[in-house]
Amino acid sequence: MPQFLNNAGQYLPILLDGVVITISLTMAALVISTLLGLVWALMRYSGIGPLVLISKTIVNTVRGIPILVQLFYIYFVLPELGIELTAFQAGAIGLGIAYSCYMAENFRAGLEAIDKGQIEAAQSIGMKWALMMRRVILPQALRTVLPPYGNTMIMLLKDTSQASVITVAELTMKGKLVASSTFDNMTVYTLVALLYLALSIPLILLAGYLERRFGTR
Amino acid sequence: MIRLENIHKRFGHVEVLKGIDAEVAHGEVVCLIGASGSGKSTLLRCINGLESHDQGQITVDGQKVDRKQSSIHDIRTAVTMVFQRFNLFPHRTALENVIEGPIYVRGEPRREAEEHGRALLDRMGLAAKADSYPAALSGGQQQRVAIARALAMRPKAILFDEPTSALDPELVGEVLAAMRDLANEGMTMLVVTHEMGFAREVGDRVLFMDGGLIVEEGPAERVLTDPQHDRTRDFLRRVLNR
Repeated sequence: MPQFLNNAGQYLPILLDGVVITISLTMAALVISTLLGLVWALMRYSGIGPLVLISKTIVNTVRGIPILVQLFYIYFVLPELGIELTAFQAGAIGLGIAYSCYMAENFRAGLEAIDKGQIEAAQSIGMKWALMMRRVILPQALRTVLPPYGNTMIMLLKDTSQASVITVAELTMKGKLVASSTFDNMTVYTLVALLYLALSIPLILLAGYLERRFGTR
Repeated sequence: MIRLENIHKRFGHVEVLKGIDAEVAHGEVVCLIGASGSGKSTLLRCINGLESHDQGQITVDGQKVDRKQSSIHDIRTAVTMVFQRFNLFPHRTALENVIEGPIYVRGEPRREAEEHGRALLDRMGLAAKADSYPAALSGGQQQRVAIARALAMRPKAILFDEPTSALDPELVGEVLAAMRDLANEGMTMLVVTHEMGFAREVGDRVLFMDGGLIVEEGPAERVLTDPQHDRTRDFLRRVLNR
């Protein structure tokens, strides 16, 4: 045990560098996926033929391709088309797009759970679409969406580890580097696992807080 | 003020409205009666464009009702609606439900809207419930909030779509009383109802619909006590002998 703590003390600063990247990557991908997901879900909910079709096509295409492959594509194929991205940017965009589809399905479930009578009531007092969404539909959808949203956030945090394959120096990547230079696999990967767990706890608390804040009533 | 000319409406292969002509004058209370599936609610929903009609023309104060034009929003604030299942916004209090339209659609200052909203709730006998959420209100109270919400838009007319059908029997009276008061104050009302007592007492005119057509119409008292048409007679016999 003293040996473990001693080694851990040595590796931790390096791994914490990775934690910072993991957190940044999670945040960036979370923002991108939430905004895009909202766009897909609203397009689908609008009932306007072409928008529905575009949204469905995007969601089903992206959902059907492994995240790893999407990351490779963005990082290695796009430069051939003249779009150069740093590893971090490619990771954030790739995870953001991949997760926007899960987000969209969460949001859609929330939107479709709302009684059609709410739409009619909003229309019957003269509300236009945007106002109705903002004042009537989205606030109600928020409550149903929060639990799966929290779940998706935690999945996203863990999936940032996939960005290591395109050389983003996040936690898993750092762990791999330390492990391969020290051969102390046990200590390194135990630390990495514990750090992910520690990172997910604030997210669980945040999700719980949001549910209490918006979920009641 | 509301004029319907030769309204046709079909859902797929089923023609639910087969050429309706009708008119509601300013200050008039018209009750629309008939069996389930006769097209009453559909007709009502065409007037504020919640449903589109396939043929014919509906005008409100001379303005054409067309779901595809932006004027539909103005028509909906001029002719508001009270629903069978209330459809209050569950995430807002009674008062917030009432002032939502005035503030966000009509652009009234919040203070003015709240003052008016509280007065309307008071008129509905719900002054004490202004800060309650719909879930904490009885069906009758919810429907009276819904009526206050419709009134808050300062409409020219209100459409009622079976406003008491979802209520427990002992709560029907309070909603009908509120509607009777409105009628007495001169509100133009078109009411789809199964409450024949209300239709007879409050209604100026009754339209009887059957199979997507208006079969009989006339002064409420006359149609309900001395119907001329066989189908009206049949319907009334079934409804009244329940």
